[in-house]
Amino acid sequence: MRRWVAHGGVALPLAVAACAYGVFVLPHASDYALRVLTVAGVYALLALGYGFIFGQAGALSLAQGTFMGVGAYVSGILAVRYGVAFDAALPVSVGLPVLLALLVAIPVLRLQTHYFALATLLIGQVVLLVATQWESVTGGANGIGGVPPLSLLGHPIEGRLPQLLLVWALVAAGAVLAWRIVSGRLGDAFALTRLHPVAARAIGIDTGSLRLAAFLLSAGFAGLAGSLYVHAIGVLSPDVLGFPVMITCLTIAVVGSRLRVAGAIAGAVVIIELPEWARFLRDDYLLAFGCILLLVVVALPGGLVETAERLLGWVGSRAVPSVMAGRVPAIFAPADEARMAGTRPAMTEGVGPFIAARAGDADLLTLVGVSRRFGGVLALDDVALTVRSGAVLGLIGPNGSGKTTLLNVVTGIFPADAGRVRLGGRDIAGRAPHAIARLGVARTFQTAALAAELSALDNVAVARGAARLGVGSALRAGRRDRAVVRGEAMALLERMGAGAYAAEAAGTLPPGIARLVEIARALATEPRLLLLDEPAAGLNETEQADLGRRLRGIAEDGVGLLVIEHNMPFLVPLADRMVCLDQGRVIAEGTPAAVQSDPRVIEAYLGTPPP
Amino acid sequence: MAIAQLLVEVLALGAAYALVALGFVLILNATGAVNFAQGDLVMAGGFGAVLLADRLHVSGLVLLPALLAGMAVLGVVVALAAYMPLRRRPPEAVFISTIAVGIILQNVANRLFGAEPVATPPLFGAGRVRFAGVDASVQSVAIIGVAALLIAALYTLFTHTQFGRRLRATAYDRDMAMAIGIPVDRMIAGTFAVAAALAGAAGLLLSNTFFVTPSSGSDYMIKAYIAVVIGGWGSIRGAVAGALLIAAFEVLYPSLPLLVPALLWMPSSDAVFSQTTSTIVLDVAVLLILVVRPQGLFGEAARQRP
Repeated sequence: MRRWVAHGGVALPLAVAACAYGVFVLPHASDYALRVLTVAGVYALLALGYGFIFGQAGALSLAQGTFMGVGAYVSGILAVRYGVAFDAALPVSVGLPVLLALLVAIPVLRLQTHYFALATLLIGQVVLLVATQWESVTGGANGIGGVPPLSLLGHPIEGRLPQLLLVWALVAAGAVLAWRIVSGRLGDAFALTRLHPVAARAIGIDTGSLRLAAFLLSAGFAGLAGSLYVHAIGVLSPDVLGFPVMITCLTIAVVGSRLRVAGAIAGAVVIIELPEWARFLRDDYLLAFGCILLLVVVALPGGLVETAERLLGWVGSRAVPSVMAGRVPAIFAPADEARMAGTRPAMTEGVGPFIAARAGDADLLTLVGVSRRFGGVLALDDVALTVRSGAVLGLIGPNGSGKTTLLNVVTGIFPADAGRVRLGGRDIAGRAPHAIARLGVARTFQTAALAAELSALDNVAVARGAARLGVGSALRAGRRDRAVVRGEAMALLERMGAGAYAAEAAGTLPPGIARLVEIARALATEPRLLLLDEPAAGLNETEQADLGRRLRGIAEDGVGLLVIEHNMPFLVPLADRMVCLDQGRVIAEGTPAAVQSDPRVIEAYLGTPPP
Repeated sequence: MAIAQLLVEVLALGAAYALVALGFVLILNATGAVNFAQGDLVMAGGFGAVLLADRLHVSGLVLLPALLAGMAVLGVVVALAAYMPLRRRPPEAVFISTIAVGIILQNVANRLFGAEPVATPPLFGAGRVRFAGVDASVQSVAIIGVAALLIAALYTLFTHTQFGRRLRATAYDRDMAMAIGIPVDRMIAGTFAVAAALAGAAGLLLSNTFFVTPSSGSDYMIKAYIAVVIGGWGSIRGAVAGALLIAAFEVLYPSLPLLVPALLWMPSSDAVFSQTTSTIVLDVAVLLILVVRPQGLFGEAARQRP
C-alpha cells in the first residue's frame, strides 16, 4: 500500500507542475519548442502502451516502434492518397497495429522472453523492408510528404499550440485509462503473472489472455501515437519504422519507470527534451540515450519515478511509523467484527470463501489408471485414488515416488499420458491449469510460490476474483474494489494465523509463514479441493499442531484436502485416510494407522531388511 | 563447378558467422543473458582492423593477433560496465544494458569514423586460386582457414585447459562453480573477452567483402541470434550449425535462378530473388521455426519441472 501512497505523492506534484507550465510558459513558447513538446507527447503515449507489455506483462517486446510505424503509415497513406482525416482514420490506424499484434501474438507470445524479443525484432525488420520496397503504396525510401495536420470532426487543427493541446489531452486520457487498468486488481494479477506465472495459473489467472491483452493494448497505444506523429510532423518517412524509435521508447520506459504510468510521461518529457536542454548533445543524442540507458539500468533499477517514490517513502515512513500497519485495522475492522460475532463475512453469494457446498462425503476427486512418463522414467504408474469432500487424504511416499508429479497432473501443469482425472463427476484431464483452478482446485507448492515484491496481503488479495477478472471489469472496478478485496484477504490471513505478517513483503517471510500465506491465497479462490505440498515443513511442533487444527477446520467446512507430507506426527492425526506411493505406484491405502504399519510402506521407506 | 564455388562461399560466410554466434552463445551460457551488443562488437572489430591497417600497413593476417588482444580488452570493459553491476538481477537487465552498449559503440564509431562504408584489408591479398578445378577467391579460402583455426583454438581452450574447464563449470552452474572456489566473476569477464575477440575477428574477416559502417552491427547481431535459436538455445555445436545454415541460405537463395534456370521464367524473378526478399524469407522462416520448434532445429525439447 505504501507504493500507492507514495505514487500519489509523485503524480500530484507532477500534475501541478504540468498545469503551471501549460498556463505560464506555453503561450510564449516558440513554434519549435511546441513541436518538440508535441513529439514528447506522442512518445508518452507510445511509452504508456509499452508499459503494458514491457512493464506489466514483463515481456521484452522490440516491436513497439513497429506498431507506431504501422499506425503512422496507415494514417499517412489514408490522409494523402484517400483524403481521410486523422480522426476518421483512427479506427484503422489504431486497429491495424492491434490486428498485426494479434496475428503475431498467437504463435509468439507464449515463447520465453528471449525468443519473444527475437520474434518481435524480426517482425520489425520485415515490416520495415516491406515499407521501403512497396513503393507504389508507401513511397519507398523517400516516404510521402504533405500529410495534412491533425483534425477533429472535420475541423483542421491549425497552429502548433492547439495541436500540442490535442496530443497532450490524449496523453492525459491514455494515462487515466492505463492507471485504471493497472492500479486495480488487474495490477496485482499482472504482478503475479510476471513474477510467478505458474502460481498465477494455479489461482485461475489466464496468464496467456492477460499477456495478450497487454500486447494488444500496447499496440493500440502505439498506433494512436504513430497516427498523431505523422499528422503533427507532416511527413511520412520509413524512419518511423526504424530501430532508433524502439530504442527511444525503451529508454523512456526504463528511465521513467517501466511499472508506473507517471514513469512513461516523465520519461518521455525528459528523454525527448534532453537534446534541447543540452544543446551540445544535438548530434549525439543517441549516444547520450545509450549512456543514460546504461546508467539507469545499472544505478536506478526502478527508474526515476520509483526512485522518487522510494525517497518519498523514506520521508513518509519517518513521519508515520508504518503506513501499512496504521491503515490495516481501519479498513479491515468490519470483517473482523463480523467474524467475532460468529457470522462469516459474505464474500460471494451462496458459497463462502472456505465453505464449499457440503456434499456429504461425496467423491470429489477421482483418479483412475493415471500414468505419466518423463523420457524413460514412469513417474506415475496406473495410479488410482479418491479425495472426498470434507475429508483429508494424506499422500506419503519416499522422495521421487511421484507425489508432486501427481499434484502437477491434477492441476494440469503436465497432462496425464493415460487415465482419467475426474473432479465432481467432470473429466478435467487435459485442461489448462487456470481452467482447472477455476473449477475449484487450489494448491500450494513445495517451495512457496509467492510474488516476492508484493506484501503477504496483496499476495492473497490477488486471488480474490482474479480468475474472473477481465480488462473491462477491472476498469469498472477500479481501486475502490481493492479495499474490499484486501479486507477479505486479511480475514483469510488471520484464519491461517498469519495476520501479523500482512504488511511484510512476501520475499522476506520465513518459509513456514510463507506457506501459511500460500494456503490463505489458495483459500481465496474458494476451492472445493485443496492440494497441499508439504505444508508443515519449516514449522516447529507448536506451529504444526496449530496448522493441523486450522486445516481440520477447512475440511469441516466441506473442502476436500490432499496433503503431501513426510512428517508423520503431523499427518497421522490430521488425515482420514492415507495413500503411499512408491516409484509411481500406489502400494498401500487405508487408515493412517494401517498404512503406517504396512510392511510394504516400511520397506519402501527403509529398504528391504537384510536377509 | 558453379556449385563447388558456391559451397566455398557458403563455408567462408558461415565460418565468419559462426565466430559471431559462438561469442553470443558463450556469453549466453556464462550469464544466462542475451548480449545484444555482439553485432556491434563485430562492427568495432571491423573498424579496429581498419585503424590498425592504416597505421601498420600490413596484411590482415598479421594484424589479427593485435586485433584479438584489443577486442578482448574491449570485451572486459563491456563486462565491467554492462554485466558485473547487474549479475544479481534478472537476465533482461543485461539484455537492456547490452542494447545500451550497442548504441554507445555505434555512435562512438560514427563520431570517430563517419558513416561512409570502409573495407578491412584482405587476410593475404586479393586474387583467386584454383585447386581441383574450383575457382575461389583467396580471401574466401583464407577466411575458412582462419575461422577454422580460431574455432579449433577455442575447442582446445575449452577441453584441454584448466581455464576452459572453469569456464564450462561456470556456464553449467554458476552457484556450484562458486561453491567449489572458481572465481566466477573473472571467468565471466574472460568469457566476454573471448566473445569480443571472436566478434572482432569476424569483423576483420567480413568487412573486406561487405565493408563496415557504424550501423552494420545489427545485421550480424540478428544473424547470431537466429543461429543460436535455430541451433538450439545454448548449444555450441548448434550455434555453428545454425551459422552455416544461415550462410547457405544467404548464398544459395539469390543464386537459385542460376542453379535452376527454369525459375527465371517466373514473373518478376528479379524481385523474388533479391537480397531484400532473401532477408524477408529468412525472417519469416525463423518466425515459423519459433512457432513450430521453439527448441531449435537440432535441439531436444528441454523439460522443466515447475
